[in-house]
Amino acid sequence: MNRSYQNIDELLNSFIDGELTASQQSEVERLIAHDARTARRLQQLQKTKMLVSSLPRARAPGQITEQVKASLAGRQLLAQQPVFSKREGTRQLLVRRVLAAAAMIALVAILAGVIYTIVAPEPVPERPAERAVAVRPMPSLAAEAGFSGRLELKTAALVAVDGFINRFIDETGLSDFVSVERQPGQSLYSLSCSRQGLNLLLSDLQSIWQKFDSTTLFVDTEQFAEPVMINAISTEQIAEIINQDSPNKAIEASKDFAILNNMAELMPGKQILTAIDDKKANLITPPKPVFTEYPKKAKKTDHQPKELNLTLVITGSE
Amino acid sequence: MRCEMANIDIADAMLVDRCRCGDSAAMERLLRKYQNRIYNVILKICANTDDAAELTQETFVKIIENIDKFESKSSFYTWAFRIAVNLTLNYCQRNAKLKLKSLDDEDYEHSTNATQALKEFLSDDSSPDPAMVAQNKELCEIAIQSLMKLDDAQRTVIVLRDIEGMNYAQIANVLQINLGTVRSRLSRARNRLRQIVEAILQ
Repeated sequence: MNRSYQNIDELLNSFIDGELTASQQSEVERLIAHDARTARRLQQLQKTKMLVSSLPRARAPGQITEQVKASLAGRQLLAQQPVFSKREGTRQLLVRRVLAAAAMIALVAILAGVIYTIVAPEPVPERPAERAVAVRPMPSLAAEAGFSGRLELKTAALVAVDGFINRFIDETGLSDFVSVERQPGQSLYSLSCSRQGLNLLLSDLQSIWQKFDSTTLFVDTEQFAEPVMINAISTEQIAEIINQDSPNKAIEASKDFAILNNMAELMPGKQILTAIDDKKANLITPPKPVFTEYPKKAKKTDHQPKELNLTLVITGSE
Repeated sequence: MRCEMANIDIADAMLVDRCRCGDSAAMERLLRKYQNRIYNVILKICANTDDAAELTQETFVKIIENIDKFESKSSFYTWAFRIAVNLTLNYCQRNAKLKLKSLDDEDYEHSTNATQALKEFLSDDSSPDPAMVAQNKELCEIAIQSLMKLDDAQRTVIVLRDIEGMNYAQIANVLQINLGTVRSRLSRARNRLRQIVEAILQ
């Protein structure tokens, strides 16, 4: 199709569609009247247009209006959602990250605490014996006798116990080595005797040891103001201390017993004592003292060495 | 005709103003007024009833959402159809490959009656009545299939002119092209359509 034919087609189409000016329309009408080919072409174009324009009109589905309303309502709901600006969003994201990090740190701290309470040893209570000798040179016995100390016993049966001890002193002939001082509610025995004599006393005292409400031994060191204090001491422990070879060993033993007895007092059911008594336990257990038989009617002997100084204080408990 | 269009425009302007104030009744009137015409144009371009319904719905949602942006430089009528046509042409572009495959696979076999009816319709001696053509289902089917063989731009300009009845200026406004382009595109589209239809008889 050449250019001129295209122009005629455009002209004819515009004529069909009523898009020409009055003069153009007259010109086309004149052309059609004189040119059968142009008239035929016009008819073809008119029929082509009619074929399309005669197509039946389709009607929109009835629910279009409702669907549009529903769609608009849904979008309106979405539009009502809070919309954060980019800056606000960044800030919120930062806050969330910081909170998450803080939560993680707190969690780790809590877990560490829990693990520490499981793994770490329980705090050992402050031990008076250690405090007494802390950061001090190793003490040695003050007395030349090799041992110096004070045994404080409290009992509700002061008179009976007092009589028991007096009887022992009379029977063993230790009266020369003992000075007695009595005050209301208290009897004070100052013993300066051999190990043998003291062991004998302890052996007898063991039979009435349960009558004492409290038994405390103070072992003197060079620092007199800071003796080693052993609470709830037993006769076996006293014998263990006084039978040591050297004063230093006696003090070491005293401190060990002080610690053990304090721990035992703090533990429910005194389990530490049970553990110590158990031979299978993996603990260092001091050997129990062996009491030697001493003749009850021993004669007075001047030559008994004065190795030990022990002040025995018996106080009546109310 | 011009007087009628002017009246329509005045009515549209009032409805648009009320729509902008949030008058849902005015919104619904606009919708009911144009839904069939817009649906019909979309259907003739995309040739699928379900897609046409969805595109019509989308067109009206877009119209109402953007009603504040509508400037009175053009008529609401052409503005609304511009939205509809743009949505439909975008849809056609997205489905172009699918459509081509479908057309290739489809075997157009027209009945003897349809061929005969078309022969009589195209005969130089006949002067058919448009009402008679509209009632002839075979001819309508041939017309629709022939339309779909045009490219999207040619089909759109034919539909807007011969089905919707827009003048060239309105078509130019809807398609955002100049009048000369409308004239030439329409001329080529009709010529091509004539060739397609005549090919059926051979």
